[in-house]
Amino acid sequence: MTFHLWLHRLRVMTRKELLHLGRDTALLLFIIYGFTIDVYMAGAGFPFELRNAPFVLLDNDRSEFSRELAGNFQPPLFQLVADVTVPEMSQNLLDRGKALAELEIPPDFYESLRTGRQTEVRMNISATDNVPALLFTSYAEQIISNYGFETVGMHHSGLSESGITTLPVVDDQLRIWFNANLEDSWFMALVELFTIISILSIMLPAAAFVREKEKGTIEQLRVSPLSPVLIIVPKILSMTMVIIGGTFVSIFFVIQPLFDMPLSGNMPLFFLVTAFYVFSTAGIGIAAASIVRTQGQVAMLVILLIMPMLLLSGSWTPPEAMPDIIRICIIALPLYHYFEAGLGIIFRDAGLGQIWPSVLGLSIIGALAFQFGLWRVQR
Amino acid sequence: MSNTIVQVENFGKKYKRLSVIDNVSLSVGKGEIHGLIGPDGSGKSSLLKAIAGVLDFDQGVIRVFGINVNSEKAAEKIKGRIGFMPQGLGQNLYAELSVEENIDFFAQLRRVPQKVLETRKARLLEMTRLEQFKGRSMKHLSGGMKQKLGLVCSLIHHPELVILDEPTTGVDPVSRRDFWVILSQLLEEFGITAVVSTAYMDEASRFHRVSLMYNGKLFAQGRPEEIRALASGSVVIVRALPQAEAFTTLKARYPQVQPIGHHLRVFVRDKEPGPAEEIIRNSLSDVQLEECYSLEPELEDVFVALLAGRNGHNSTGPGITVRKTREIKAGEGSDPAIWAKDLVQDFGAFRAVDRLSFEVPQGEIFGLLGANGAGKTTAIKMLAGILPPSSGDGRVAGIDMRKAVQSIKSRVGYMSQAFSLYEDLTALENLRLYGGIYGLSGGLLKERIAETLALTDLQEHGSELTQGLPMGVRQRLALACALLHRPSILFLDEPTSGVDPLGRRRFWEILFHLSREKGVTILVTTHYMNEAEHCDHLVLMYAGCSVADATPAEMKRALQEEAGDLLELTVDRPMPVLELLASNGFGDAAIFGNCVHLLTHSIDETISGVRLLLESNGLPLHKARKIPLSMEDVFVYRVTALEQHTSEGQLA
Amino acid sequence: MNHQRILAVAKREWREIYRDRLFLSLAFVFPITMMLAFAYGLSLDVEDIPIAVLDQDRSELSREYIHRFTDSRYFNFLGYLNHPDEIDELLTTQRIRAAIVIPDHFQSNLQEGRPAPVQHLLDGTFTTRARTTKGYMIAITRAFEKDVVIDFLSQRLGVSPQQVTEQLAPIKVQVRYLYNQAVESSQSLPPRLIVLVLLVASPFLTVVGIVREKENGSIYNMYASNTSREEYLIGKLMPYASIAAINALLLWAIAVWVFQAPFKGSAVLFISATLLYVLCTTVIGLVISVFVRTQVAGVLITAILTIVGGMLYSGVLTPVSMLSEDNQLVCHLLPAMYYTEIVDGVFLRNVGLTVLWPNLLVLAAYTVLLLIVGYAKFTKRPKT
Repeated sequence: MTFHLWLHRLRVMTRKELLHLGRDTALLLFIIYGFTIDVYMAGAGFPFELRNAPFVLLDNDRSEFSRELAGNFQPPLFQLVADVTVPEMSQNLLDRGKALAELEIPPDFYESLRTGRQTEVRMNISATDNVPALLFTSYAEQIISNYGFETVGMHHSGLSESGITTLPVVDDQLRIWFNANLEDSWFMALVELFTIISILSIMLPAAAFVREKEKGTIEQLRVSPLSPVLIIVPKILSMTMVIIGGTFVSIFFVIQPLFDMPLSGNMPLFFLVTAFYVFSTAGIGIAAASIVRTQGQVAMLVILLIMPMLLLSGSWTPPEAMPDIIRICIIALPLYHYFEAGLGIIFRDAGLGQIWPSVLGLSIIGALAFQFGLWRVQR
Repeated sequence: MSNTIVQVENFGKKYKRLSVIDNVSLSVGKGEIHGLIGPDGSGKSSLLKAIAGVLDFDQGVIRVFGINVNSEKAAEKIKGRIGFMPQGLGQNLYAELSVEENIDFFAQLRRVPQKVLETRKARLLEMTRLEQFKGRSMKHLSGGMKQKLGLVCSLIHHPELVILDEPTTGVDPVSRRDFWVILSQLLEEFGITAVVSTAYMDEASRFHRVSLMYNGKLFAQGRPEEIRALASGSVVIVRALPQAEAFTTLKARYPQVQPIGHHLRVFVRDKEPGPAEEIIRNSLSDVQLEECYSLEPELEDVFVALLAGRNGHNSTGPGITVRKTREIKAGEGSDPAIWAKDLVQDFGAFRAVDRLSFEVPQGEIFGLLGANGAGKTTAIKMLAGILPPSSGDGRVAGIDMRKAVQSIKSRVGYMSQAFSLYEDLTALENLRLYGGIYGLSGGLLKERIAETLALTDLQEHGSELTQGLPMGVRQRLALACALLHRPSILFLDEPTSGVDPLGRRRFWEILFHLSREKGVTILVTTHYMNEAEHCDHLVLMYAGCSVADATPAEMKRALQEEAGDLLELTVDRPMPVLELLASNGFGDAAIFGNCVHLLTHSIDETISGVRLLLESNGLPLHKARKIPLSMEDVFVYRVTALEQHTSEGQLA
Repeated sequence: MNHQRILAVAKREWREIYRDRLFLSLAFVFPITMMLAFAYGLSLDVEDIPIAVLDQDRSELSREYIHRFTDSRYFNFLGYLNHPDEIDELLTTQRIRAAIVIPDHFQSNLQEGRPAPVQHLLDGTFTTRARTTKGYMIAITRAFEKDVVIDFLSQRLGVSPQQVTEQLAPIKVQVRYLYNQAVESSQSLPPRLIVLVLLVASPFLTVVGIVREKENGSIYNMYASNTSREEYLIGKLMPYASIAAINALLLWAIAVWVFQAPFKGSAVLFISATLLYVLCTTVIGLVISVFVRTQVAGVLITAILTIVGGMLYSGVLTPVSMLSEDNQLVCHLLPAMYYTEIVDGVFLRNVGLTVLWPNLLVLAAYTVLLLIVGYAKFTKRPKT
């Protein structure tokens, strides 16, 4: 068989897959939705910053100072939901989840500050969600210590009279790499994009393959001079093309303009790695499709594969925070490698020199899945 | 009219904006078995579902037991009194449940009291001969057994009306006959009215009254013999040489000419058998006439004649004219086109094909016949190179199938049992795809597509989406796809199932043309027994083995020698007649509508004996005559004998 | 309504599930595997952050400063670096998430009362974690700085460190964490995963169970018999709701025994809330299956609704209070969040019916509403 003929058949079969997709309006709409609106919503809707954190004030002092301090807890970070007089009331609000924290100011607050005695403000923070609890703590502590030092402490410490002009403070200059302003939208939109890419790249070729099995058209292909490779590869190739196209639209027409994300990384490399990822994942989809008989079964199997992939590949928990055993297991997940490589290129401007282990991982997973699928088709 | 069970007036149903059935009226009286006959897509299922109260519809009025079924609430009122079996082999049954569990479930749904259930179940299982399989799970039953179980489940609550949607589709002829016998027994025993649909024209005689449907329209209605009388005439069978020339000559004058093996079958309208034969003899004065006799027309002839008359189209497409060229005689080539020797296919412990051997000369139409699961499809898959055989040898187009699978693949065309086209592509896109797969491109591809479209008469459908095409057109398209690369051998696995008679005839004309004109060898499997007659040569398969290997004529002759001629008895009540005959030593008698068929070596003696027997039991015999044996008779006889042999072997 | 018919439908459904090994194993293995994998693998705690230090001062004070990080449970000190370029390499390859650069004269600057610059470098890819990490680094630095300043001032001003402390930081802050004293997600996450796993697993089984029947045509047995809609729906849902209930019990056992989640509240409350939630998720499956015709469509829609809904809008992984207002609204429109609050309530908060009754009410209303939709849309005489 000449290479020319092989290429011709590849082209014919790939065009066929694209035609199928083009005729499936519902699926097309779903794909377009996934790459645009869904990605946008994830990017816009999940800024993980403390926002209007509800707190209760139990002001036992009710003085000028206590008012002033409580007044420093302002939106958009904080939101006073109740100014109560008895602890039971604040406890109730905390129990019911209506308040994240309680700020309790002691009765001698004004008196102590005025007389230069140390006083103690208490915070009871609901820690059922640890991220907001910790954020609340750190912001609140800063506010309180600043208030104490600037408003009250400075006047009483005698520093002004001592002639000391500077203090031995640690001037910590924070430099955040890769996403200097901690734009959640960049991260969330990319994670959602990767999720959509994953779901589509595993589901579309698998469904296309099982549909041929169910309809019986696969028989017709197997009796033709097509090799198993030419039955499988066009399905993967066509979906890769579609997904790459969707990714392109998503990045250049949704994420970049709407979230002002700078694309400093090597974008051709990113698309290359994406294509590689789609190819590997599609291989897994085909492998799954090759062992089942009906579309219902393949759908169940795909969910079984996709759930851990989405949750454990690093979007919710970075690998270093996982137990060793899980960390070893997730090496088998292609999304884990894509995550490393894709985010590496976009955020960290990583080149092939840095991401080659991920590319290697993707190749091994893809090759294994592909080989399995081929072996099943041949039988 | 208290006697009318079902009354349908001007029924119509649309799916989205597409009307699938329109302006249909019919009525079914108490105790009647009413048949809805028509090809796939004629709207039968929609009508049946609407009658059963499980489908909302747009037009008309349906009354069942006098209740107007026009809302879900009204439909609920009739549901306790009806039984419904939807289309599809065992589709309404539960695969994981055993036979008995299935029956019990239906009984519980219908709240049949336990005691009543036990006696009914015992009786129904006995009649359907399913009691020994009580514990077997449904998924392990054969197609025929599934349908019998489905019937039992729909009858367990003794409904007054039972609605069966294509209960015999996909069931082999033996099981089909069995099914009909059981159905008519049950209905008579319990006094149940039935509305049954079928795609098989030859089943018309099973009904008291039939409604012929086509394309969502009611076509004709009445008793089978009344319908038959709508287009009177005779069928003349001739054997003339050269066949192609005779075909061309006849085709010019008679719309309904079918090549059947080496014979031609002509339907001559409005003529008695004698004059019809005469006319045909005269028109074939140019060629050498070897044989000529006449038969009574079948319902299918009438159907095609009515259809042709109504639609005003000729049964032959314009693209098919058999030119007067040298007739390629079957077997002329030196090497056989297909040669199979001791082919075996094992699936685990199950042997699907067992030492199958046969040869197909070049240019021959070769048929593989057999019940579901006999191994036909497996055999064809092995030869087509999809399934490597467990052992045995085969040569296709002179190439060893074990060694050079790829080079075989480019020389054969294949149409699989399941529909092999992509429904969301247009006809042309399908053709381009298959052309491309076989390496055709550019001008050559265009040329081939044009040529194939002309051959299959599909030019006008090129840019239509395949899913919207009628079954018959799709099937021709599938054939066109298999022909683009000009294969010398065609493998066709049940190519015509679900296609209307007109479409089937056209399809066979193309096959005939390919075989006789282009010398293409065709290996075909079919479950339409009248199609088996089209083949030059047949192999009958049973349980993976070849049990007969001969021409259709030879097979019939062998049956005649072994079991005698076929005698048709026309009676009023076939059921007691059958029972009476069975108890008097005529075990293999079978019911066809109002007729009973039986095989006998001595026609005259049997007639007088049977007449005496029936009349002494108060059962009038209206007519008794010898009729020609059909391939179905051969099939049923052979397979029944083998089944008996097998079950005796199992018992012993 | 006839209970025999309901039982007949339920029994048949159960037999079919039981004999379909693939389906049966999926019904139980899937939720348990997910629970184990996620409870082990997911951690919302920001701990053991890999960090490296480039100490150019190599002084006593710089070492003390670094010790504050190495002693913390939040950081995992990977070692000293020799060259600034190494930071670049390590951050890019994600071997470290944070780095500290301490320039020359750190100690001398501090000892002489001058501000001493240090550089904190942070990987901002995972924004949430980066933000928390930033908070830790600032807190540790301020604590260190405070000690340095106090030492400095008490020396210069000649007062006791105690006095300096009181004057510099006149307001002490005492923080007490309620419900989860250690602020560890290992306490709160496993019980909450019950919410997520049940949300994905139960509707999915129901959808496949019902749509399978629609697809293969055996649903016509129901259409054509005088079994009523409610008899069919109840009988059909019973096995799936039971499976989900058994799963809920298993998940609870895993959370409590394997992951040592505290169970503080009322068992009766938890069980009844869980049964309600299980019923609710099962009915979600029913509603989806009424609207779709094929299993693929059913599973796809279920997957998107439940996976996306469960990950983003249930409050399990993303605290509802931190979302944008639109998304908070979405959370309130979906049932999962209400059950998450109940789970938090009985596992962590130890609150009872007096606090949680509105949540139970919402779940019940939701279930009833969905049942009504499912019942109304399920017809025995469909259009197609």
